[in-house]
Amino acid sequence: MARSAASERDGPRERGDARVGDGRASGDPALSIEGVSKRFGKGEESVLAVDDVSLTVERGSIVGLLGPNGAGKTTLIKCALGIVLADTGSVRVFGTDVGDGRRAAYANVDAMLEGARNDYWRLTVRENLRYFATIAGVDPDSVRARHDRLLDRLELTEKADTPVRELSRGMKQKVSLASVLAGGAELVFLDEPTLGLDVESSRTLRRELRRLAREEGLTIVLSSHDMSVIEDVCDRVVMMADGRIVADDTVAALLSATERDVVRVASADIDDAVVATLRKRFDVRAVESGPDATDATSVEVAAGGDALYDLMDTLREAGVTVEDIGTVRPELEDVFVDLTGMEPGGGGTIEDGATGSDRTETEPLGRSP
Amino acid sequence: MSNDVEPATAADPANPADSATLDDEPRPATYYHLARAVLYREYLIFVRYPANAIGGIVVALFFFGVLFYGGRLLAGQALTDSLSGIIVGYFLWTLSVGAYSSVSSDIGSEVQWGTLERHITTPFGFAPVALLKGIAKVVRTFLTSAVVLAVMLLVTGTRLSLDPLTVVPVAGLAITSVLGLGFAAGGVTVLYKRIGNWLNLLQFGFIVLISAPVLDAPWTRFLPLAHGSAMLQRAMVDGVRLWEFGLVDLGLLLAVAVGYLLGGYVVFHYATRRARRLGVLGDY
Repeated sequence: MARSAASERDGPRERGDARVGDGRASGDPALSIEGVSKRFGKGEESVLAVDDVSLTVERGSIVGLLGPNGAGKTTLIKCALGIVLADTGSVRVFGTDVGDGRRAAYANVDAMLEGARNDYWRLTVRENLRYFATIAGVDPDSVRARHDRLLDRLELTEKADTPVRELSRGMKQKVSLASVLAGGAELVFLDEPTLGLDVESSRTLRRELRRLAREEGLTIVLSSHDMSVIEDVCDRVVMMADGRIVADDTVAALLSATERDVVRVASADIDDAVVATLRKRFDVRAVESGPDATDATSVEVAAGGDALYDLMDTLREAGVTVEDIGTVRPELEDVFVDLTGMEPGGGGTIEDGATGSDRTETEPLGRSP
Repeated sequence: MSNDVEPATAADPANPADSATLDDEPRPATYYHLARAVLYREYLIFVRYPANAIGGIVVALFFFGVLFYGGRLLAGQALTDSLSGIIVGYFLWTLSVGAYSSVSSDIGSEVQWGTLERHITTPFGFAPVALLKGIAKVVRTFLTSAVVLAVMLLVTGTRLSLDPLTVVPVAGLAITSVLGLGFAAGGVTVLYKRIGNWLNLLQFGFIVLISAPVLDAPWTRFLPLAHGSAMLQRAMVDGVRLWEFGLVDLGLLLAVAVGYLLGGYVVFHYATRRARRLGVLGDY
């Protein structure tokens, strides 16, 4: 859908270039946010929602925006769109300052905001696509084939002539996305795009987002609480907390930078006394016991290098027969919790040791006979 | 309706470079496409969900029935003597209420649906979209009010001059001022959602404006509806044609319409701007 695909072909660019101006030709980033701050309210009760945030998003990339509730993600997106006016700072879209020429910038941007319908439920799916393509500045007849392909890829073809109100929640969500993509914006903001989707629909949507970025050069800024969506789709992750950016890197770099020397040991011989001994000598991250006394207890211990040998010696001295052992592979959510101290879905602070083992996967090192 | 975006032009089929891209290359939408899209959407909703329009007609006729039969019981001949004027006034009131409430409640609904932002962030700018939506609402209101008028004339056996070349422009300009009030109310609704509901009560104030004593108090001609209402009475009751009105009357009708429409739009513009500053636009 993105018109940047057209830039790879011969022929005039009737729309984008004329409206957006020199920025596109000079290779400006898709989005450039510089020193944006936004405070809501006045006096003691005011809230600094976005605090001096700077961010650059290159064309054709998919950037994930992560943060607990109240971190400032949605406000930042709305500032970038001009739906919320920032107190300070500037936002440039393909080189065009949103403050100076908002409408020119809008020609290449669209957004799907969390909680919004985004489209008209009384119109059919195809009527919505045509309407919002026009509103976005594109003659709908000229993108009819593209709309067909979009409907096909989002598995909406059969419902193309059905009023949106008659569709399931998941389908409505996909129509909302389709209507955002219908106008061929080159930069789209998607706030929780997989919310309400079943597993299959979520997979379809992720596949389509990757394809749009790869094949058509669409730039996507995606906010989600669903870490798997972010890990699966995004080239880069920007984490926010308290209105500030606390991390900005690729998923791989963020994962490798975190503590990797955590091992999980499981044994039925691990009792309270053993755990107490381990706590004295090592950094015990988590302890998990089964419901029955005879079940194996697993402990997660930060033990890299020589500490791993010390751990083994300690376990042998305590008469523990190791039943299972493996390194704990950190997930994005662990990185998130480490950096923000909060759960991605909520605003609460994580208590010490509450980074439960349900969020981690174990890579088996070996299994005792 | 300024627009700092150059209205784009469609691809020229005579140009080989353009025709090569006609199949799949996005072409810019012009104001024609915008008008077609907005009006077609209104049409679709009107024909697909006729219950809303029919409901409005039934309610309007019910109130007129109460007014007519109740008034005849209480006032007898006095009502019959002024019946033509009452029918014209009621017709204009249904037009006004239709235009006002459709614009203000439409803005309220669009805020709820999250579609208002998409109209504000359009490269066309919100003004042309809003104006086209307003025109669509007026056209739709004319259709339903025409039905109400026809039934009123049939029930009461009254005859009025119904020259469309006179009635449509005079009534249309008269309610254009109300469209402005609708935009202003819509803007206030964006900012203060609860107050918006109370603003619906304004439509009962239209009765006062429609029956304003423009002869005794000429300044009331500058209020919305008042001057247009007086002209519509002369047109429909006395049979005065559009070109028989004085230039001053016609000029004032136009000025009041444009003035209130622009004023309403300015209020809407600043209200949405303030909403953007406060962060309440798109606050679902």
